[in-house]
Amino acid sequence: MGERLPLRSRPTPTVHSRSSGDQLKSPPFAYVAPTSVEEALTLLAEHGDEAKLLAGGQSLVPLLALRLASPSALIDLSGVPELDYVRRENDHIAIGAMTRERAVERSEVVREFVPLLSVAMPLIGHLAIRNRGTVGGSAAHADPSAEIPAVAIACDAEVVVRSSARGERTITSDDFFQGFFSTALEPDEALIELRFPVVGPGTGVAFEEATRRHGDFAMVGAAAAVRTEGAHIVEARIVVIGVSDKPVRRREAEQALAGAEPTRAAFEEAAALAADSLTPPSDLHGTSTYRRHLVRVLVRRALESAVQHSQEGG
Amino acid sequence: MSQQVAQRYVGSPIKRSEDPRILMGAGTYVDDVKLPGMVHAAFLRSPFAHATIASIDTSLARKAEGVLLVYTGEELEALLTPGPYGLGLIMSMEKPVFSCLATDKVRLVGDLVAIVVAESRYLAEDATELIDVEYDELPPVATVEQAFDPSNPPIFEDLGSNILVQSEPHAFGDVEGAFSRADHVLRVTISQHRHQNVPMETRGCVASYDPATEHLLMWSANQGVHIHRTTISGRLGMDPEKVRIRTADVGGSFGLKLGGSREDVAVAAASRALGLPVKYIEDRYENLTASGQAREESFDVEAAYTDDGDILGLKVKMVMDAGAYPGLAGALPSMIESMLPSAYKIAALEFQSTVIVTNKATYVAYRGPWAAETFVRERVIDLVAHELGREPFDIRMQNVVTRGEEPTVMITGRSLVGVTVRESLERLGELVDLPGFRLEQEAARAEGRYLGIGMASYIEAAPGPKMPGMPLGREEMRMELAEDGKLIVFTGQMPHGQSHETTIAQVAADEFGVAFEDVQVVFGDSDIVPPGFTGGSRSATMAGGAAIMTARALRAKVLETSSHLLEANVADLRIENGAVSVVGVPASAMTLADVASAVRQPGRLPEGVDGELKVENAYDGGSGGWSGGTHCAIVEVDCETGLVHIERYVVTEDCGKLINPAVVDGQVRGGVAQGIGAVLLERSAYDDRGNYLTATFMDYLMPTTMDIPNIEISHLETVPLDPDVNFRGIGEGGMIVAPPTICNAIEDALAPFGVRIYQQHLPPAKLLELIGVIEPE
Repeated sequence: MGERLPLRSRPTPTVHSRSSGDQLKSPPFAYVAPTSVEEALTLLAEHGDEAKLLAGGQSLVPLLALRLASPSALIDLSGVPELDYVRRENDHIAIGAMTRERAVERSEVVREFVPLLSVAMPLIGHLAIRNRGTVGGSAAHADPSAEIPAVAIACDAEVVVRSSARGERTITSDDFFQGFFSTALEPDEALIELRFPVVGPGTGVAFEEATRRHGDFAMVGAAAAVRTEGAHIVEARIVVIGVSDKPVRRREAEQALAGAEPTRAAFEEAAALAADSLTPPSDLHGTSTYRRHLVRVLVRRALESAVQHSQEGG
Repeated sequence: MSQQVAQRYVGSPIKRSEDPRILMGAGTYVDDVKLPGMVHAAFLRSPFAHATIASIDTSLARKAEGVLLVYTGEELEALLTPGPYGLGLIMSMEKPVFSCLATDKVRLVGDLVAIVVAESRYLAEDATELIDVEYDELPPVATVEQAFDPSNPPIFEDLGSNILVQSEPHAFGDVEGAFSRADHVLRVTISQHRHQNVPMETRGCVASYDPATEHLLMWSANQGVHIHRTTISGRLGMDPEKVRIRTADVGGSFGLKLGGSREDVAVAAASRALGLPVKYIEDRYENLTASGQAREESFDVEAAYTDDGDILGLKVKMVMDAGAYPGLAGALPSMIESMLPSAYKIAALEFQSTVIVTNKATYVAYRGPWAAETFVRERVIDLVAHELGREPFDIRMQNVVTRGEEPTVMITGRSLVGVTVRESLERLGELVDLPGFRLEQEAARAEGRYLGIGMASYIEAAPGPKMPGMPLGREEMRMELAEDGKLIVFTGQMPHGQSHETTIAQVAADEFGVAFEDVQVVFGDSDIVPPGFTGGSRSATMAGGAAIMTARALRAKVLETSSHLLEANVADLRIENGAVSVVGVPASAMTLADVASAVRQPGRLPEGVDGELKVENAYDGGSGGWSGGTHCAIVEVDCETGLVHIERYVVTEDCGKLINPAVVDGQVRGGVAQGIGAVLLERSAYDDRGNYLTATFMDYLMPTTMDIPNIEISHLETVPLDPDVNFRGIGEGGMIVAPPTICNAIEDALAPFGVRIYQQHLPPAKLLELIGVIEPE
């Protein structure tokens, strides 16, 4: 289950092999379309490791076409309406796994109570992708450059997962996102819901990205949520993407800003701290040095923008 | 004496006849062709850049579900006649000789190892995974250094080395004199990077061999059905008369689909073996990896210039990377050499070239294949201007030729008749307020914003001026008046985005005297249309001219025939609004449908009068001529991220008389978009082992509509050279001149950092390295 395509710099096969790896037609698979979560979980338990949940298909379908994934069965969740919702529950906003990204983008509830998620949405691919792509799919796919995992980590969102054998459990975002396309999901578990805490008053948010083209995965992205009171920063959250095997929270930089005045110098210092100790990957689109430089630039810009918004009333 | 017909359609931005079907999804691209009993081919391709095939075992694949045929290279070769493929055929290339599929060894990642035909493409691809190949890797030749290293094995044994062609230095004019008179010599190495055509529709074909008649019908995406037929019939050892190539809509090509490919031949051979229709549609992975790439050249340049800014001469050494299975590349150095001086008074040139082969995709024609001459020259002009602290625009104006003044030929011998680069620069000077921009730039820099302006000029032989001993070619056309009075035009042009159905109809309608809607343009069937192809920005002149000449001849014939029907003198007749009438006697009018049907009735014409209302004609290009112009970009570089935003893009161009301004603008915009892509986004990247790194659109970045600015276009229509035909081609110009335009603008933006640009590809990390913000890795 996933949203977009983890295919950057796909290595060419370099070993003696039967597989040429150069096709764009999927290998054979079984297809099932449950109509309830319960039925989906039963099917998942039956098919086990070999099955894949299909959400919006924005990553999985290309992976199938390139034969980089060859599941025995696809369990299509598009006919499971009970996973499509955005609602306020006490102190958090609950978003069903099959909620389309475009629905989240247009949600007034999200805009008011999880503004960082709201501003991140337009950065995900293109409109056509967001019409199909789902919140749960993106989270379960765990692309280290994706926006939704970054927002979840920045907001301390919780991830609700369920299996037919063991029922439901709730996992913190920090624990859920484990690495490159890797999560805490067990093979028989499905992601059911993300829970984003309702944002506090006086919080401004921003999501800055450097992309080579509109709609591309960011070479580097920086999410910031800053709560100010009067002339001081009370709390800052900073998460960076495109620099590691998962989105990384920059706690040292956050601490440096707590209690500080929101000045250019403070932002520069925090941005330097955010970039320090990172060793981003190099690829065709940018060297490691370039990405580390971008972290400084984009964290500073995100902080400036977030503080401006918080002072304009959040 | 033919009478003057009022111009009604030529010059008008009439809507394209092609669009309703294409925009409503009703076009017929090759993948839309579905024949009864059709089966599907897939290829096993090499994962290695350079390796011998130690063994190949297809036994499992042959037994796989739905599989009808599996051929290895050796098995297929036994069914074929050796000879050239693709553009190698047009270039009469003798060496290297190579096979259809790889036999002894593979020569690039994506090389063809085996073909599988099965009941579906899915099953065919499943079966390719069951073919067991053992490779012994050879040292890859992926760089210029590796190609020149004699310890590396030759990729093609019959070349003896990895050098395809090496020329002696050619000198034009007084080179030593120019360099000794010069106050300064600029010495730089300028390079273009490998990038590629990437048409929206990939290559593909449906081959259908009929064992009963021993005829092969082949649908394919191509730029000329007869050239395609020559490859297919030649390699299959068939009589060309028994091979019919059909092509309907083609979703772009930009030079890629010229001549039958190795894949086409393999598919045709498989159809012949099976007696079934076989379809192969190249997928995007195959297209990006192995269909063909272009533009990998490096130039050591010395430019002699004076304190006053006169550019006296150039010494240039070029190395071009032709990739594997070379076709076109060997022919390009002489084109680049002859075009280098272009519209400038550069009086001396020394040029030497080497073309190498490497374990990379074949260097193919890509929209202005010789464009390196423009990139190198237009970069050199800006570099000279910067050295002298002068405005590049002024250096161009100072060095560009003036019509009617010496020199009237380039030092390489090409006539400059009708060249209007000076006029295009002057027009640009009117459209862009250069002094005003410099003030704006100064103010922006004070705020830490880096704006830049860049210009570049080009000319293109589209089709080129008429010169003694250098014929422009021969464009055949056939027209007939159908029984319903419609004008049917048969052309050898193979439109793949150029709008020939519209533009040829415009020209023919005006000349013949019928409504645009009553002209039907027929193309894409080797059994029906005359020989020809579309490429080289030639069709405006060649097909436009052929349309005028052929329509004129048919009109004369219709008038002659009608004179018998109307019992009037030919001189008193005219064709207007789809009817023949006696001048001044409207009641005499006979519709063309009446004429066409009357001549088919026995006894209506006197004995011996030819009642067949069809003519064949050919056009030699008349006086020919250049197209050309100047582009200007204004950019802003974000010096923190290295990202470039194009604020404004202005084109002044001259392609003679416009047949359809909307079509011309579309051609210009498409070319500019590809040029912007080349500089900022597109690169066909290999590592030094020859592994291809940009095999999906995640890595090979095409510009989208979001990346292309509004493009302002101003047309000059200055110089009629020919009494009849003054349309000139515009297909390639945008792609030729946009890359130096963008690079010049970026260099101007980064002037405060002293940045000099020598490489065409400028991704953001590279720009920050040039500025000195980050260290190169």
